[in-house]
Amino acid sequence: MVRADLRNRSASANAGASINGAPAPASAGAVEADRVAPSAVGTSKVDTSKPERHRPALRRSHRRQARTALLYILPAFVFYGLFVAAPWLHSIWISFYDWDGIGPSTWVGLENYVAVLTEPLLQRALLNGLGFIVFYTVLPVGLGLVIAAVIAARQRRGAGILRTILFLPQILPLVAVGVIWRYLYGTDGPINQVLTGAGLGDLTRAWLGDFEWAYFAVGFVGTWVTTGLCTMLLLAGMQKIDPSLYEAARIDRAGAVRQFFHVTLPGLRPEIVIAVTVTIISALASFDVVYVTTGGGPGRTTTVPGVLIYQLVFTSNRVGVACALATVLSALILAIVAVVGRLGKERS
Amino acid sequence: MQRSKFVLSALGAFAVAGLLAGCAPGASSSSSGPREEASKDLGAEEITLSLVSTPESGESTKATIAAFEEQFPNVTVDYTQTNYEDYNKSVNLALSSDESPDIVLLNSVANTVKNDLVLDLDPYAELYDWADVYPSNQLDQWRVAEDGTTLGPGGSLYAAPAGFSIVGLYYNKAIAAKLGITEAPTSLDAFEADLAKAQAAGVLPLQLGNSQGHSSFVVQLMGQAADGAAEAAKWVFGAAGSDFATDGNTVAATKLADWAAKGYIPADANGVDLQGAVDNFVQGEGLFFVDGNWDASKIGDGLGADAGFAPFPGENVTAIGTSVAYAISSKSEHPNAAAAFLDFLNSPEASEQQFAQGFMPVDPSAATPEPGTVKEAIVNAWSQVVESNGLVGFNNNATATMNDTLTAASQELLAAKISPEDFISQVQADWAQTHGQG
Repeated sequence: MVRADLRNRSASANAGASINGAPAPASAGAVEADRVAPSAVGTSKVDTSKPERHRPALRRSHRRQARTALLYILPAFVFYGLFVAAPWLHSIWISFYDWDGIGPSTWVGLENYVAVLTEPLLQRALLNGLGFIVFYTVLPVGLGLVIAAVIAARQRRGAGILRTILFLPQILPLVAVGVIWRYLYGTDGPINQVLTGAGLGDLTRAWLGDFEWAYFAVGFVGTWVTTGLCTMLLLAGMQKIDPSLYEAARIDRAGAVRQFFHVTLPGLRPEIVIAVTVTIISALASFDVVYVTTGGGPGRTTTVPGVLIYQLVFTSNRVGVACALATVLSALILAIVAVVGRLGKERS
Repeated sequence: MQRSKFVLSALGAFAVAGLLAGCAPGASSSSSGPREEASKDLGAEEITLSLVSTPESGESTKATIAAFEEQFPNVTVDYTQTNYEDYNKSVNLALSSDESPDIVLLNSVANTVKNDLVLDLDPYAELYDWADVYPSNQLDQWRVAEDGTTLGPGGSLYAAPAGFSIVGLYYNKAIAAKLGITEAPTSLDAFEADLAKAQAAGVLPLQLGNSQGHSSFVVQLMGQAADGAAEAAKWVFGAAGSDFATDGNTVAATKLADWAAKGYIPADANGVDLQGAVDNFVQGEGLFFVDGNWDASKIGDGLGADAGFAPFPGENVTAIGTSVAYAISSKSEHPNAAAAFLDFLNSPEASEQQFAQGFMPVDPSAATPEPGTVKEAIVNAWSQVVESNGLVGFNNNATATMNDTLTAASQELLAAKISPEDFISQVQADWAQTHGQG
């Protein structure tokens, strides 16, 4: 239940992102993501703010319009409430109980939260999750910028195919991604075979069972998955930058690199904010890939909050603590996303 | 303004709904009316029993149903199965639902008994004389004290066995012969001497896959062979005052770390799972391999006459093992018919199916392996273990979290991230969380 809850939230975040990430009218800044969603209501609201004291008839018609608008979003709202909001609130409620998932429960107040913040294993999981931001966000956005810049600069025939290939990991189910990479990283897997073939047999190892390398190996899968998404977002952003800006820069004798830093990068700020937001969510809420490849091991080196929540519910039967950890994780994600959004707004 | 009010009130409504629905999650389970008196008489009325199991454990049960239905013509058994992982995660929910199955496979006592989801079988054990049918240590694993967590003699019976598993030492006879080893070692010293011999000859001494923590089998077998089965079983059962830090376990953890350091086990053990290790062993990598009878067919098919099996060497003849066991749901409307089916699981017909599927049968006379096969070696080991009353349940089942703890801690032990002492104290700390400080 907790797992489904987590997924739903990241899924809805993804959906939000794709709306804004699509090659939209130049003005549709990603920073305004929060304002785009309720636009159906927003329009009517703007209209009613006109001077209306002397026009009661018009006001009534606008009110009717608003009611119609509400009617339109009602089905979506009901589903959102039933399958996202209600389970979420319910899991917050459970987090105040000591409950094994089946039997009677006892109210324990904030005890589960104390456990989340003091048990070393739970702390470790949170730190591991935060560390994943490097692999899910920093690297993919960096790589995405470079790749998108290269593709945008030289529109050749192969660009479409390249884009498709880059985006492919994004449409694979993450469990399948995990299974594929478990095979690739295997002791006799292709990666070790290539290393042996290249005369680097000393470097071969059980990548997923190695205390030093497992975390990087699993993290890299995240990079592989999210780089395509970031590239697409940034590429779409680049295409809406006014070409005259580049012309002006060229007249000022700015080279390709300077153009990138002074024209492209500032113009991409909204898209970068979206890419960072979406990928940070998938870093902190990661579960599938880790569960399938290492299950959190070796030792506890790759245990992330998602895996721990799963173990707490299904093997430890500590549903209350699991819900507390899920709540802390949601709060953390919301806080980080809020900070990212704020930073994006301030600078633009 | 209007909008935000609407949103707020809607959110409020959901909050209230959530709170009401969740008011003290897991409403107390109500017992389902008066229970029918334990009896062998199943009447003449048509009865349908639903049974849930896993493919690993259930195949022999499924094959037993026809014989059962022949004997009790008015009873039909509906069999369904789910894979092991999903099964363990859903069995309690199934039992507490309104459409609970009548008979369920019980892989561990966990919190199923504590929450009164399955019936106390003592009346049926008396009715069918199970105490005479099964050796005591085969039922003790399914006896649970009133606290719901302590197992072992003295508690009430909650499940009936339907075939047994045994974990011991496989060995490759061809490699052994090359090294001049003519029979399986019977003492730890002889075992270590064989390991050293193998390494000196450039052969991997002990095959092992530890990505799911299976080196804990090696530690347990080495420990209980030194400490004795009775002492080891107490800890697995959660008997008050037990401690994992026994002499046997301390030596075992130290030896395993030592073997890892010496290269007696594969360097990549932490990245290989049990099936990967089986594959490697079958391909001739490794003189010894610790595993259960569930892989006997695969190893027997792969190595043929070269596959050997023996109880793990040590002062006491012991083995790790448990039974496929079935329990009756508290919500079952036909507990008498369900109990008749459980009793049928020790019949010659059922035992035959259990042995055919690779389990040690409840009725030992049904174990008729072909001579010279690894199955024959396993049956011999099984009878030695039964004779010495040396069967101990899995350490991994000592608490709900023990499997995860053993997996993580043993991976750290093999990689020399923790000392053998730390390994033992981590394991005991997990145990103490459930069963209390000694």
